[in-house]
Amino acid sequence: MAIEPTQRTTTRGSSLTSMVSLLVGNKVPPLAPQPAMGFFTDTSLCIGCKACEIACKQWNQLPASEPVWTGSSYDNTGQLSAITWRHVQFIEHIGRRENGQSTKIETQIAEAKSDGIIPFTPPGTALPFFNSDRWLMQSDVCKHCANAPCQEACPTGSIIRTEFDTVYVQQDICNGCGYCVVACPFGVIARDQYGDHTAHKCTLCYDRLKDGFEPACAKACPTDSIQFGEVEQLKEQARERLGILREREVKEARLYGVDDNILEGGLNSFFLLLDEPEVYNLPQNPQRPSNNVVPASLWTIVAAAVLGLCGIFFFRE
Amino acid sequence: MEETHLPQVFTDGILPTNIAEQLATLTTGYAPDPERELQEPSYYDYPVLKAPVWRWEIIWYFFFGGLAAGCYVIASIAALFGSREDRAVARTGYYLSLLSVLPCPILLTKDLGRPERFLHMLRLFKVKSPMSMGTWGLVSFSLFSGITALIQAARDGILGRWWGPRLLAALPQSLLAIPGSALGAFLGGYTGVLLTATSIPLWSRSKVLGAIFISSAVSTSSALISLVLRLTRTPSRVLHKLERLEWVALLVEMIGLFAFLRGTGRAARPLVGTAPAEHGRTFWSFVAGGGLVLPWLLQTLSLLVGRSGKRRSGRGIVISLLVLMGGYFLRRTMIEAGHTSSSDARTTLWNARR
Repeated sequence: MAIEPTQRTTTRGSSLTSMVSLLVGNKVPPLAPQPAMGFFTDTSLCIGCKACEIACKQWNQLPASEPVWTGSSYDNTGQLSAITWRHVQFIEHIGRRENGQSTKIETQIAEAKSDGIIPFTPPGTALPFFNSDRWLMQSDVCKHCANAPCQEACPTGSIIRTEFDTVYVQQDICNGCGYCVVACPFGVIARDQYGDHTAHKCTLCYDRLKDGFEPACAKACPTDSIQFGEVEQLKEQARERLGILREREVKEARLYGVDDNILEGGLNSFFLLLDEPEVYNLPQNPQRPSNNVVPASLWTIVAAAVLGLCGIFFFRE
Repeated sequence: MEETHLPQVFTDGILPTNIAEQLATLTTGYAPDPERELQEPSYYDYPVLKAPVWRWEIIWYFFFGGLAAGCYVIASIAALFGSREDRAVARTGYYLSLLSVLPCPILLTKDLGRPERFLHMLRLFKVKSPMSMGTWGLVSFSLFSGITALIQAARDGILGRWWGPRLLAALPQSLLAIPGSALGAFLGGYTGVLLTATSIPLWSRSKVLGAIFISSAVSTSSALISLVLRLTRTPSRVLHKLERLEWVALLVEMIGLFAFLRGTGRAARPLVGTAPAEHGRTFWSFVAGGGLVLPWLLQTLSLLVGRSGKRRSGRGIVISLLVLMGGYFLRRTMIEAGHTSSSDARTTLWNARR
């Protein structure tokens, strides 16, 4: 999958062509498009080891964040940021047994024992499969949206789509205007307030992709919770995995960003979740910010027209 | 916002909290229900969105940009459609427009993470991005505002009597006024569109922020022009026209703001609510109350009761100052409440559930 470095075509023509190239810049032909690449993050396999966070920081030479203890869970990273491009969440659902479910589970266990599904176990043995408490883990990352609001908002053209259809910030172009920060519906991209004051986020290891390697987080993931590959193939894989889980009665399993057409095109980095997206702090169906430009402009024009006509009317008298 | 500290009275407001709270419930149509909101799924209430990086520079830019745009448009209307007396409005308006537009690029550049890269804004002309269009709009408007004010100065004899000013004075100012006004209207309104085209629930849920900002641009500009004219003792007939325009602009602004609060519902709480992080106390006292309804009522009174008389002069100055204060606090509370809105995970998730 390695890419041949594109030859820079040298203009050795007349002085006219060299002058033109001086004015418009020496254009390098666009890179040959590659199949769209993305992540499939299968949270049903995540064990919360945070290897992805560390691998990402190491490969991308990102500084460590200030150590904090959130006190709410094992999640002491807190959020994705300009210097944190993978973030492992720990969703602890303790106390789901309330609402009178506890008897139901004990009945379930008793039934399973009498049916011979589980063998006799000495008292006190943990039976995690029948526990209603849950510990969900998810490695959150940039979604590399098919219609990326950050890219649509960017006024400098710093945020581009690469030949792998990933969303990439060109750090030498970004001037830190901060519009992408408020455009992103997932709170992913951020301005580095302590470093170079430009916007940063996951690059899907563009440099590694160029050399035919998989991104650092996917490489480091010990359970293959993070899978990397061609988006279409990965989506097929995700549907298969969902089918397997459904077959095994994991009814709450669902895909996020695969067939739901989020942001009118789906996500190139998508997830298999074990509860509603909101449990993972993911918005169910976020609006595409650029869709607001036309209605907002129309209302503005209406107000401007009313006021303009009134002004003309008053001054004409 | 840590950079600027307001006196306590502005953050506390002057309306009793329970009245502000009732107004919030009434206008948004949403009564906060903490128990039900706590039932909604959330991830330890960690924010879903990143907080905006915009601070006081943007607030003042929105304020001055609105003034520059409004002054230019009003001056052009006065120049194109007004009587000989209305030339005073045109002259004052064009000068004020240039004065207001001068700080804008400085504020915008200072706001960037990398100010030395401000020219990167001009790499693209991107219709989809209000930030890109706004930059182009500001650049071209500044050009028109500058040339128009120079022509005005040449005609007023401020620049002396040599060939330069004579050449400038011969340029067709009214021909420039038409595209300049179009750009002015754009500059006055695009800031609202820019905020609407984000993921912040408060800014993006209703689509009328641009309409509010442009009417506020017109109301604050007519307030500023009439303030200057009043201080330089211009005949009240001219002022009367300006005041009527101001009255209409305030009315449109109030309607727009009401539509905004209704349409935004629960997501408008950071702007109108009275909880510690919410900005309702400032909003109701200095935007809706002191900056809109009060000057509008005073203006109504002035327009109804007698056209002449020197008694109106003091009241007129008060009205102008109130409107200008309201315009500033509208932008200030809107930006600050946007910060609050971005950190409210449950409302962000609610906003995306449709």
